[in-house]
This record gives sequence, structure tokens and C-alpha cells, in this order.
Amino acid sequence: MALQDFLPALPPSAGPLVLFGLILLAGLIGGEVARRALALPKITGYVLIGLVLGPAGIDWLDHSLVEATDAILDFAVGLVLFELGQRLDLRWLRRDRWLAVTGIAEAGLSFACMYFVLIWFGTEPLFAAFAAAIGMATSPAVVLLVAKEMKAEGQVTERALCLTAMNGLVAFITVTLLTSLVHIEYKAGFVVALFHPAYLLFGSALLGYIAARLAIAGAWLLGKREERQFALLVALLVLTVGAAEALKLSVLVALLTFGILARNLDPRHRLMSVSTGNAGQIFYVVLFVVMGAGLQPGELATGGLMAIVFVLSRFAGKSLGVMLFAPLSRLRRGSAGMLSLALVPMSGMALVLAQGPGNLYPEFSAKLSAVVLSAAMILELIGPLAVQFALRHAGETAVMPDARYGSAAV
Amino acid sequence: MEALRFSPSEPLTMGVELELQILNNRDCNLTRGAADLLALVEKKPHPGDIKPEITESMVEISTSIHRSHGALLDELLGIRDAMRDAAERLNLRIAGGGTHPFQRWSDQRIFPKPRFHYLSELYGYLAKQFTVFGQHIHIGCPDGDAAMYLVHGMSRYIPHFIALAASSPFYQGADTLFDSSRLNVVNAFPLSGYMPFVETWDDFNGYFENMQGFGIVESMKDFYWDIRPKPEFGTIEIRVCDTPLTVERAALLAAYAQTLARYLLHERPVKPCVDLYRVYGYNRFLACRFGLDGNIIDAATREQRLLKTDILETLRLTAHHAAELDTTAPLAQLRALTDEGRNDSAWLRRVYAESGSLSDVVRAQSDAWTAEVRKGRETPRRMAV
Repeated sequence: MALQDFLPALPPSAGPLVLFGLILLAGLIGGEVARRALALPKITGYVLIGLVLGPAGIDWLDHSLVEATDAILDFAVGLVLFELGQRLDLRWLRRDRWLAVTGIAEAGLSFACMYFVLIWFGTEPLFAAFAAAIGMATSPAVVLLVAKEMKAEGQVTERALCLTAMNGLVAFITVTLLTSLVHIEYKAGFVVALFHPAYLLFGSALLGYIAARLAIAGAWLLGKREERQFALLVALLVLTVGAAEALKLSVLVALLTFGILARNLDPRHRLMSVSTGNAGQIFYVVLFVVMGAGLQPGELATGGLMAIVFVLSRFAGKSLGVMLFAPLSRLRRGSAGMLSLALVPMSGMALVLAQGPGNLYPEFSAKLSAVVLSAAMILELIGPLAVQFALRHAGETAVMPDARYGSAAV
Repeated sequence: MEALRFSPSEPLTMGVELELQILNNRDCNLTRGAADLLALVEKKPHPGDIKPEITESMVEISTSIHRSHGALLDELLGIRDAMRDAAERLNLRIAGGGTHPFQRWSDQRIFPKPRFHYLSELYGYLAKQFTVFGQHIHIGCPDGDAAMYLVHGMSRYIPHFIALAASSPFYQGADTLFDSSRLNVVNAFPLSGYMPFVETWDDFNGYFENMQGFGIVESMKDFYWDIRPKPEFGTIEIRVCDTPLTVERAALLAAYAQTLARYLLHERPVKPCVDLYRVYGYNRFLACRFGLDGNIIDAATREQRLLKTDILETLRLTAHHAAELDTTAPLAQLRALTDEGRNDSAWLRRVYAESGSLSDVVRAQSDAWTAEVRKGRETPRRMAV
């Protein structure tokens, strides 16, 4: 037996597990450096370390390595959307119609602002609509993670999550519908143009519905035991993500629907409110590092100015919607501004969305990328800061332990 | 130092304060909502008074002064409905109950107000552990000496109030085996327990000045006694009750206190003596632990009997005072409840046995408070009405 039979080839090829571990470690280091040295949110640290390791930096975490983590990433995205979906309480929207109106106005007005600004700058309408649709979505991962990290509780936090779920749903549906226009643009034929979006929307929603029904029925069988229900949910999450991919459906729509329905189709509360806790955290870290690696600062040169205009018009639209209607839904004065700020992040989901038609028509994706990716880049870096600022100034974050010596007078 | 003046009030009038829980609508844990809720509820006129409490997941409601049980109940229902409407807009829930079954005290946040921050600095973790919810009943007294007698006389009946109001069997995620675990939290405070044995208002003033002189207290607020005089209101304040699961039961307890007060002031059946306080702590423990099924030791007769029996006997002895105060009907309800040996703690334990989840227990607790009880489930409201 020769040495080369049992010794690894040099250099040894890193399997997905090694890669996962390395990305996680890098994220942890980035997060801690950001928190301690730069006083930035940890999420910004994850993104920055990804940027440094990715093609824009030392080019270690390149496209082929990222592909190796695809399965993990898909699960991470699924987890985020499921958690977000569970934060959308339809009964609340029914009791407080103005909150529902706020959600629709905020998404609609930001779409309009982005769309017309892009048109005004001479962008083709279809492309402008696509970019605006993607821009409607607030990054669920950022809002959820910042809220969790800061232990935020209160009206701004709850409403930000609720509106994020709503604008995510609206954005995903709009993007899917626009896909049919892209098909027409690229002369794919009428049947494809009609059938593909319909298949995506209804198929994904149906998948989410089945998963939610299974979760609730399974929870009923398992009883109220958190550890068992946790295992059940993880199993169903992995299965749903896998099924969505295998069936070429939208992971985003399927998992968001799963989350929303799991919460709202369960009047007897069979499904416990299971916390994904530290285990969930791991996937978030990897997700943000890889998103950071996907950022392309090079695009800023071409898309930079447009992206800034895009970002500003997006913020203007969202703020206008929130400022107009949030007071009617009884948000305290001053909180509406904080709520607008909390909706600022736009991120990795935009990349996923942009890739949708991109996979079918690469040239379309190339056109789309400059502005949208530059905007995502800007917002991914300032988004966590905005959310942190908003929740802190709304007074909803946990105060640091107030145990100090001496000042008690007695 | 100025002597405490007891401003007289109309005898046997009553008022109630209730500390309530603010819950999220997901897993029904306590949540930070007091400031938003108060801001919203104050936009519309409503009966009573709604105030913040020491942590951000608590609010306190209080009624105005009443002569009759019916008017008191009406006001409580009015406050409850105003709070429910506001809470619904904010996707929050309100609940009664002496404890939240599974909240973690360390997660609680001190309400941003100077006095609460001061208490938090002084008492450390006790302040956050004080996230428990009680009912306080005020009874009007003609003068300070009458108040002193009433405090001592009432102390004989403190176990009644504990057992009838008990609604805190679960604490920090576990069944405590106590019917009222809330009072164990109160016990940790240095100025808890009972008023010292002084019989006149002048003697009380002497004691108070002493304590002030030591620098231990500044005002009556600093005493956390089970029953304390409240000279600025001209009342005595009974503080041992857990917040019941329904306003109906809260009003019943007030009617019982009012009737007992009349019995005590008119007949002076209890002779204030040190023996009262020799049995006090043990009786209090028995009532907290075993509720209506526990024993009570009568200091006067040295006899032990079932607390339930003692309450039924007291209701019989006070019947003609109830007739005078028009509390016969509510006390008949209270008698029925006592006879069946059921209090809110027993109900909560049954809900837990059915569902196996403390989240579901709190949800039921909150449904009971807003009177939206699911069909098929026995209601504490029905138990109370």
C-alpha cells in the first residue's frame, strides 16, 4: 500500500463542512471586531468580513465555494422567512385596518417612488418595475436579527416585523408577476408567460399551506413539548425548502406562506412558539457572511449614483406611507419616524430575487444588477445601523443591567 | 418632622386597586407595553385611573370611592373594557392572576420613572422579582383610632382574603404547590409583614416618627405590610389578595371586606392582643399553601378548623351587616364559591392539566379577564357570578 492511498492529495480539498465551519468562525470574528473595536452592530461585522473574504477582497470565498454552501444557505433563508411569517398576525390586521393600510401604502408608495425616479433617469420601464419591486422588500434577516440581539420589544419592533412580512409578500408576488412580462420581452411565448408565474405563485403557496397543515397536525400529535416540536419544525423546514427547489418553485414564497399560515391557521395554538435560539443564530451568521461576499463594490462605479437616488427614493416612499397612516393606527407620536427607519434595510433577499429571471435570461440580470446590487450593498451596510438606531431610540431595547453600587441612599 | 394626620373619610366606603399583566399575543409572555398602552388608553375618557407600575409589563388600575358593590363592579367593568379596546389595537393582551406562570424575572424592565429606578437600585433583584400582581382593597375609616382597630381586627381574617383571591399557583415555569405563591415574593422585602402592635393613632405616630428618625422610611409608601393604614385617604388598605382572574371576583372580595369592616367596627368582636400575631404568620402560610382546604388557628379559642368552614361561619355571622350594606347577593356568590372549595388557583391548575402548556394557561387567564372564554371550557367568570 502506497502513501498516496491513505494520505490526502495536496492541497486537501475543503468539503462543505470545513467551509461551513470556516465561514462561521470568520463571521464570529467579524462580528466581535465590529462590536468591540468599531461599535457597529454585529451583523455589519458579518457582512464586512464576507466582503473582505469575497471576490471584492482577498477572493477566498469565491463563487465556487459559495455554491458549496448552497444547501445551508437555502435553509438559512427558509428559516428567516418562516420566522418572519410567524410574526404576521392577520387578526391584528383585521382589528387594526390602518396597520394593514400602512403596510400597503408603504410598499405601494416606495414602489411608485423608485419606479418613477428610475424612469426619470431614463431606465426602461420593465427594468424599472423589476428594480422597484425588489426594492419594496425590507430585509427580514436584518430586522429579525437586530430585534433579537437587542431583545427589542414594543410597538415599533412588532410593527416593523409585521410590515416587513407584508412588504416581503407583496414584493415576492410582484416580482413573480413581472416575470411574465420578462418572458414576453424575451419572446418566450404566451403560455410560458402566463403559466410560469401562476405555477410559481400557486405552487409555492400550496407547498407552504401543506407544510403549515402538517406542522399543526404534527404538533397536535406530539403534544406541547418544545423539544419535540422543534425537531418537527426543523424537519418540515428542510423538507419544504428542498421540495421548493426540486419543484422549481419559489423558496421565498413557500417559506413565508408556511410561516404565516402556521401562525394563522392554528386557532387552538397546537403549535408552540418555538424559539430557534442559538441554533438559528448560526445560520444567520453564515447567511450574512455569504451575502457580504456576494457584494460587488465594483458595481458602485457604474451604478453608484443611480443607486443612491434609488435608495433615497425608496426611503422617501416608505417614510411617506408610514408617516401618513401609522398615526391613524395609533402609533405614538415620534414612533412613526423610528418605524420608517426600521424598514430601511434591503439585502440578500434582493440578490435572490434578482437572480430569479436572471437564471432564465442572463442578459436581463446583468442590466438589473448594477443599480440593485449597488443599492443592496449600501443598504446592507447601513441597514443594521438604521434598525439598531430606530429600536434604541424608540426605547424598546433591553437596558443593560442596572446593578451599580453605592447610589442607593438608605 | 410633622405628625401624620389621619384625614377622616366616610366609614365603610371602598375602593380597589388591581395590578395587571401585559402580554404579547404570540406565546403570552409578559411584554414591554405599559407606556404604549397608557398613551393610547388616555386618549379617550374612561372611568377610574390607570397608572404604570414598577416594570414595563405591568399596569395598575384603580377605582374611585364607592358605597355599593354594584357601582364598584360597574366601574371595574368600564375600566376593563377601555383597556381591552386599547390593548387590541396594539396586539397586546391583558390578564389578571397573581403571578405570570413562566416569565423570567431577569427579563423584566424597570419602568422609566425616578421612583421605580430608585427602588430598583435599593432592592436589586427583588425589584424585578416584584413583577407579581395584587389587589388592594381600601376601606374608609372615621378616624385614626378606628383605623388602628380595623387593622388588628382584619388581621384575624387575612387568611380568608388570601385563599379567596389566590391565583398564583405557577411561578417561574413551575407549579409551586402554593395557591398563592405571590406572597412569598413580598416576604423578601425588609418592611413587609404586619403593622406593629399599637392601638391608637398617637402611638402609631410615635412608631412612625421613630422609623423616620432612624432614616428607614420617608412615608407610609415604604411599608409593604399586609394591611396598612393610609392616612391621606383615611382608609385601611388590605394588600394580601392576588389579582383575581376576573373583575367580578375582585368586586366580590371588596364587598366581603366592606361587610367584615362593618361587623368589626360595630360589634368589635376581635380583641386586639399579641396572640393575634403569634398565630398570624403560620395562618398566613397555611392559607397561601393550601388555600381554602388549609386550616386556620383561632387565637381566641385556640381551636384549629378548616379555613373553608371559618369563612362560611364568618359569612353567617356577618349576614345582617351584609343586609345593611346591600352586599347580601355578592356574599351569597362568595358563599357558593367557598362551599365548592374552588378558587382561581384551582381553575388554573385544571387548565394546565388539560393543555399541558403554561402558554395556554396564560392565554386562558387573559381570555377569562376579557370574558372571551372559549366554549366548553369552564369559566372562572361563571365560578364568580
